[in-house]
Amino acid sequence: MEMFTAIGLNHFLTISAILFSLGMYAVMTRKNAIVILMGVELIMNAANINFLTFSKYNGGMEGVMISLFVIVLAAAEAAVALAIVINIFKTFKTVDVSSVDTMKE
Amino acid sequence: MMHSLIQLSIIVLLLPLLSFVVLIFFNRRLPRMGDFVGVGLLGTAFAISCSIFWTVIVQHYDPAFRVAWDFTWLDFGNVPGVGPLVVKMGIVIDNLTAIMLAMVTLISLLVHLYSTGYMAGDKNYGRFFAYLGIFTFSMLGIVLSDNLFSIYMFWELVGLSSYLLIGFYFEKDSAADAQKKAFLTNRVGDIGMWLGILILYSQFHTFGYQEIFQNIAAGKFTLSNGWLTAAGILLFFGCVGKSAQFPLHVWLPDAMEGPTPVSALIHAATMVAAGVYFVGRIFVILTPDALHYIAFIGAVTAFMSATIAITQHDIKRVLAYSTVSQLGYMVMGLGVGAYSAALFHLLTHAFFKACLFLGSGAIIHAMHHEQDMRWMGGLRKNMPWTFATFSIATLALAGLPLTSGFMSKDAILAGALAFANVEGGGIFYLIPVLGFGSAMMTAFYMGRQVWLVFFGESRTHLKPADEHHDEHGHDAHASHGHDDHGHDEHGAHHGVHEVGWVMRAPLVILATLSTFFVFSTDPLDGAKGWFMHLVPTPSTVVKSAEAPKAAALAVTGGRLLAEASTDTAHPAVVAGHAEAVHGAAAEGHGPVFTDPRQAELAHEAHANHYTAIYLSSGMLVLGIGLALIVYAFKMIDPARTAEAIRPLYLYSFNKWYWDEIYDATLIKGSMLLSRSLAWFDSNVVDGIVNGVGTVYRKIAFANGSFDKYVVDGLVNFTAFFVQTSGAVMRKIQTGKVQTYLVMVMVAVLGYFAVYLIQLMK
Repeated sequence: MEMFTAIGLNHFLTISAILFSLGMYAVMTRKNAIVILMGVELIMNAANINFLTFSKYNGGMEGVMISLFVIVLAAAEAAVALAIVINIFKTFKTVDVSSVDTMKE
Repeated sequence: MMHSLIQLSIIVLLLPLLSFVVLIFFNRRLPRMGDFVGVGLLGTAFAISCSIFWTVIVQHYDPAFRVAWDFTWLDFGNVPGVGPLVVKMGIVIDNLTAIMLAMVTLISLLVHLYSTGYMAGDKNYGRFFAYLGIFTFSMLGIVLSDNLFSIYMFWELVGLSSYLLIGFYFEKDSAADAQKKAFLTNRVGDIGMWLGILILYSQFHTFGYQEIFQNIAAGKFTLSNGWLTAAGILLFFGCVGKSAQFPLHVWLPDAMEGPTPVSALIHAATMVAAGVYFVGRIFVILTPDALHYIAFIGAVTAFMSATIAITQHDIKRVLAYSTVSQLGYMVMGLGVGAYSAALFHLLTHAFFKACLFLGSGAIIHAMHHEQDMRWMGGLRKNMPWTFATFSIATLALAGLPLTSGFMSKDAILAGALAFANVEGGGIFYLIPVLGFGSAMMTAFYMGRQVWLVFFGESRTHLKPADEHHDEHGHDAHASHGHDDHGHDEHGAHHGVHEVGWVMRAPLVILATLSTFFVFSTDPLDGAKGWFMHLVPTPSTVVKSAEAPKAAALAVTGGRLLAEASTDTAHPAVVAGHAEAVHGAAAEGHGPVFTDPRQAELAHEAHANHYTAIYLSSGMLVLGIGLALIVYAFKMIDPARTAEAIRPLYLYSFNKWYWDEIYDATLIKGSMLLSRSLAWFDSNVVDGIVNGVGTVYRKIAFANGSFDKYVVDGLVNFTAFFVQTSGAVMRKIQTGKVQTYLVMVMVAVLGYFAVYLIQLMK
């Protein structure tokens, strides 16, 4: 427990922020749509860590519940996102998002 | 009820107008181009004129005969600034009118008849007769008018018709120039005439002769006598233009460009007579000063044109200058107060000058349009009729006793002598001296003309070949029937033959009328004839300021009598004696002058009758003798004489350089004026217009610039702004998801930054 008292709220939040930043970095810089999807998963897990951390330090169960929801939603989101990626591939014959800019028009 | 004479005279007036209207519109549709219409209507007019003449002259034989009729033509009511303005038209018939009617219609008829021969084959044959008709109509209008307004209208109509007739061959430049010259020169005189009419109208508010005369006699002329003199001289300007007096005589010789019958009708017998007739009509209102002016103008004209006529080569030009000279005589006669004599000369001159012109027309016709006397000669054998009639008319013009010209010219010269005596001044003797000098020259140049044309041998072959073509066609027209005779007949007068009867008959009639017995039983004294009895000098209505030296005569005689009719009334009385005058005056015959000046003039004229006869006969003998010496006996060579007095010869040959003087002064002057006006117009007026235009252009330019740069600039700037900002903004929308995400991140981080900054405060 001593060990846990040495590891405080800030450590969790820091881990979460790092995770978020890595995810964000991946989303912003990778060209492959699949990798971007992985970055999105990182961001969501960073959010999950925050939920769990605050739930632990707050003493309630709401954070745990929401993180369960997030995991479920993440599965659904991954399904939808992969479907979009497949459609993009079908349309543009590539999954490189930098060459898909038809939203400009 | 209108007097029957008035009705007849209206018919006479309208017949030539009818001829004009019919011929001008229908001459191409009528057989013979309608010449029979003109001749027929003029014949009718002449017949009616004869009946008027018979009634007035033969049946009444009364110096005071007068019938008048008028009607209100225009009534303008009371015009502001002018007063009552009523224009009347009317007709007056007195002895002079009746004589003029017969004379004008007779000569017009003869000219119509003559023209059927002379103008035959002309392409505008019908139009020629139409013009003759309108001319005769206008001339009759002048003769019949009873007021200044209508005479002015007909005056202008005469000007128009002469314009049309002079320029009948308008394809020729010379004819077109001559008609313009005639018209413009006449306008100059007419302006003066109109001003004179206006002076009289401003005083009396009437145009009628009779009313004006009565008003002046009643002393209702409120302005000074100088104004009355001015009015008289201004009215005389009309005569100066129409009767070709110095200095407006220049048009008449050029008017010979018209066909020769026209020269006879207009430029010898009638139109130019209109001026003299008009001065005769207004004679009674002319003041002594105005009469002096008129006398000098007439004398100078007579002398000047006589000197010019001596050296001319063109047969018609000699006659033209002779006409000017004779008109000068008539005007001089009026000026010196010899009214009857002047109008008598008008009548006699009309006949013999028409005869001369028609005779020259016959010569020109027979010579295939040769007009230069130098190349004529010997025609008396070929053309005996023309020669005889031409000679009679020449003698009448020169003033040989037994001819009509002698009587009238002598009466004028007697009047001139009387005038000089009465006025008593040295300068006034210039008038009879010029008169007698002109008489001598008249005899000389007419003798020269007859000799050159009719005597000697034919000189046709002497004509230089190069001149032949130049002068040909002077009076010619391309389609003339006689032209097929050809022009290569040099030498003998192969083609010259007497003219046909239509051209011969007028010559014979006119020559007959040039002899004395038509006018008077006494060949030496026209005063005994019917004309001077019936057209006596009227008493002036102007009160002379001072009576000349004969005032005493007038006082003792009470009423003096012109001797004109005294002798017929009292054959036993020796002419020229004052006692006879008084005796006759007591019995009340003949014209009676209340004006002492006129009375003395009449008395002196009679006293100088025989002096004038001797002097003028002497001049005639001198003139004809000189002509015979020079041209018949060839004792003096004219060419060498001309060479000896070359400056004088050239001065005469070039017509005293009047054309050149007018060209250098008036024509160049008006051209200069026109040019300077044109300069003013193109520089100043156009400059103003252009300046205004430039100013407006500049304003419009500024306006346009404002529109272009400011208004359009705003619009364009807005568009540019939107476009530019759109271009910038568009770059943000890359269509790439990752970029958008970056932006979202930036925005979120921005919010956080702001939040943190807020928090730290």
